[in-house]
Amino acid sequence: MQEFIRNFCIIAHIDHGKSTLADRILEKTNALDKRQMKDQLLDSMDIERERGITIKLNTVELTYNYKGQDYFLNLIDTPGHVDFSYEVSRSLAASEGALLVVDASQGIEAQTLANLYLALDNNLTIIPVINKIDLPNADVEKVTEELINLGFDKEDIVLTSAKTGQGVEKLLEKIIKIIPSPKGDSKKPLKALIFDSIFDPYKGIITSIRVVDGEIRNKDIILMMQTNAFYEVLSLSINTPKEKEVDVLKTGQVGYLYASIKSIEDVKVGDTITHKDNKCDKALLGYKPMKPTVYSGIYPIESNKFEDLRESLEKLKLNDAALTFEPETSTALGFGFRCGFLGLLHMEIIQERLEREFGIEIIATSPSVIYKVELTNGTTTLVDSPNKMPDKVKIKKTLEPYVKISIFSPKEYIGPIMELCQNKRGSFLNMDYLDEKRVTINYEMPLAEIVYDFFDKLKSYTKGYASFDYEVTDYKESSLVKMDILLNGEIVDALSLIVHKDFAYNRGKAIVAKLKEIIPRQLFEVPIQASIGSKIIARADIKAMRKNVLAKCYGGDVSRKKKLLEKQKAGKKKMKMLGSVEVPSEAFLSILKADEK
Amino acid sequence: MIKAMYVHIPFCNNICSYCDFPKIYYQEDLIDKYLDTLNYELEKVYKKEMIDTIYIGGGTPSSLSLNQTIKLFEILKKVNKSKNIEFTIEANFDSITEKKLDLYKKYGINRISFGLETTCNKHLNFLNRTLSKKKVKQVIDYTKKQGIKNINIDLMYGMPKEKVDELEKDLDFILSLDITHISTYSLIIEEHTKLFINNIENIDEDLDYKMYEVIRKKLKENKFYQYEISNFSKKGYESRHNLTYWNNEEYYGIGLGASSYINNKRITNTRSINKYLEKKFIYTEEKLTIDDKCIYEMILGLRKIKGIKKEEFFKKYNCHIEEKFDIMNLKDKKLLEENNGYICIPQDKLYIQNEILLSFVGGSSNGKRK
Repeated sequence: MQEFIRNFCIIAHIDHGKSTLADRILEKTNALDKRQMKDQLLDSMDIERERGITIKLNTVELTYNYKGQDYFLNLIDTPGHVDFSYEVSRSLAASEGALLVVDASQGIEAQTLANLYLALDNNLTIIPVINKIDLPNADVEKVTEELINLGFDKEDIVLTSAKTGQGVEKLLEKIIKIIPSPKGDSKKPLKALIFDSIFDPYKGIITSIRVVDGEIRNKDIILMMQTNAFYEVLSLSINTPKEKEVDVLKTGQVGYLYASIKSIEDVKVGDTITHKDNKCDKALLGYKPMKPTVYSGIYPIESNKFEDLRESLEKLKLNDAALTFEPETSTALGFGFRCGFLGLLHMEIIQERLEREFGIEIIATSPSVIYKVELTNGTTTLVDSPNKMPDKVKIKKTLEPYVKISIFSPKEYIGPIMELCQNKRGSFLNMDYLDEKRVTINYEMPLAEIVYDFFDKLKSYTKGYASFDYEVTDYKESSLVKMDILLNGEIVDALSLIVHKDFAYNRGKAIVAKLKEIIPRQLFEVPIQASIGSKIIARADIKAMRKNVLAKCYGGDVSRKKKLLEKQKAGKKKMKMLGSVEVPSEAFLSILKADEK
Repeated sequence: MIKAMYVHIPFCNNICSYCDFPKIYYQEDLIDKYLDTLNYELEKVYKKEMIDTIYIGGGTPSSLSLNQTIKLFEILKKVNKSKNIEFTIEANFDSITEKKLDLYKKYGINRISFGLETTCNKHLNFLNRTLSKKKVKQVIDYTKKQGIKNINIDLMYGMPKEKVDELEKDLDFILSLDITHISTYSLIIEEHTKLFINNIENIDEDLDYKMYEVIRKKLKENKFYQYEISNFSKKGYESRHNLTYWNNEEYYGIGLGASSYINNKRITNTRSINKYLEKKFIYTEEKLTIDDKCIYEMILGLRKIKGIKKEEFFKKYNCHIEEKFDIMNLKDKKLLEENNGYICIPQDKLYIQNEILLSFVGGSSNGKRK
């Protein structure tokens, strides 16, 4: 059987048609009939379908008959966004081949390249695919040239339209012909890689595994090599894409394992599974854990939901090892968690999943990067929250993480992009023309500036045409200060942030203006101030409320007035009381969107 | 003991852009059926109490023809009226005629409430209304000549782009008519109205408040005293009917979409004319506990400038107002004050009274339904 297995994944930029292509492959292999098809079948989370992106990887085993022989194709879906390259590397490790999908009208994008290099590092066989050839503005010739420039042979390139299904059969043929079958030794003791795990509300913890050597059967007693936990296998299954129980997973196969695992702690993605009584010689390399680059405080709006929030975060962490969290306390918001994320999108997704999947209303504070602070006593401390910033007199110097950012854009936006990067403390590195129309612009800039509102700005400066990618390079000394926000004269710790000294004044002004817009009028006038130390650098006043009355007499319909008051009251309960000021929960993140003029 | 009755006449010759009261375009044949049904409803609910105030509101009651008006009054003859009854009808200046006023007088109407809203053409257009100042003067003169001295005029302010001096002109004109009562409130953009559909926005709240203060000042100078959040009158001419509402007392409400408060229940009638004609009157019904009543007492009673008499509260609910609600705290915050045994909202907080009333509703600490 092993020689007829093909494990492959798809790498592509967001929106280049990865999930649609996966859908078509499912259709061509008759995994589902038309009636069962719904778009983006592999994207099982609502957020994925709504945003049209893939966050979590998902596998499916397909059977395809080629020249009289059944082949087992394991398709492992991968996320396309920069924040999820961790997930990508996980699916790459479970595959022998990868489809590199490029949009015929867009060409190769930053993230595609990054993932391509990851795939090459993993010694995968790559099949270049030009997709969306049905589009009127498809430029197959140009994209072909780009691929040739990357070192591919013209004859290896497959042209497809995931929309119409054109070229998909040819692609399946290529997969069978080019991608090698899994190596592994079926005679050796079991060695399987855990490359994902999810929490199922009915079954508990389910892990995705790839059998590297040997085989795994129902009722086997297995051992997790890293955590030393052992369990009895209760069931094994594959996704076809309907779940199908199987008795055994053999060398090279990919499937799901369920073993009534009690402790979330016992399952580590990247760990190796073997038999308790017949161990393999050594564990697989696993993954290098990704380090969070962005931190933010997450608090339940209702303070009694703290434990629920903890449980939900634990469940999310189960298949999102990159998420970190530890309890923190805020004077303004009470008990919550300091959470670490791979990037902004990762942060947004986690926040959204907490609200949607776990039904917990949360307040998220504005994200912070990790600063290094050298103290006068010679030690260095890491600061991931503005409120952990040491006292000014104790600081010798402050350093912040810098990134190399590559922006891909049509050339007409070079001017605005440069202007944006300058405003974001960027220093220009270089610029390359990809072809006569498109450029890559490279800048070095502080990560904190990207976290701030770079993405939204870039999109608006370039009408959505530019995309970007970044990698953290190193720490550089920077003149950083902690800025506090005061409401009615009192510091709100959850609104504090670390800013560059030279930009503090403008940012303070913008934040104060934004808060004035978001916080509704109160019974009394409320000053909003931004301060550095004891120095006030910006101020705006929320005017006192002037009108909240139902003056009209509705012919004795007074129930209506009571209902209106009850509605207003319900609205108030969603606000957070900070001292004597009622603040809507969105105020905490809004300071990110404050526009500097 | 119920002493008040509201009667709703939903017909209008013209629909104002801001109106969200139950209303229907004037239809001759529908009106007869409507009045018959009204008669049926009255006979069904009215328990022959002596009634002290009747208020015929709308819609536009004055849109009824002479014969229809007679029919309405004949129906209301069933109502036992106290000697001292306040008998009000709403009218607008377009549809009122001397003959109708004669009929009103004949059937015992002693108070008329005219909708004027504004005198400025620009704003009249916006509200989809018309008005002739000349006719206003004639009608008011004739009404007084008929011996109907208690006259209210409705004034609206806060239309988009309205200026303070335009409002002052409206006030001057109304004051020149030498009437007894003025009701006023700023434009509310209600859902399901033309204005809402056209995305009209409220005026700035600072300007709104300023206009309210202009009105209060000017009316005070002209010896109109404010007895309720949006009502001003000459001494002794407060609307007794409306005070029934603010005093949280029971009242009948008959007709399309009318509200009533009978036997501890707050009832709202259907707004569907078809349902109403099928005699399916009731739309919602809220049975009140003592706690609910106390909440209503606060919501309604604090609309009065004088406020709620503590002694009265105790008599009605057999507990002290301070036991029921955290009055002390609100007094400390200067959101309530106490004068001569009355709890009231301070003058400078009148216009944000909802903010204060919120302390009494929808929470566990205010003793709402358990």
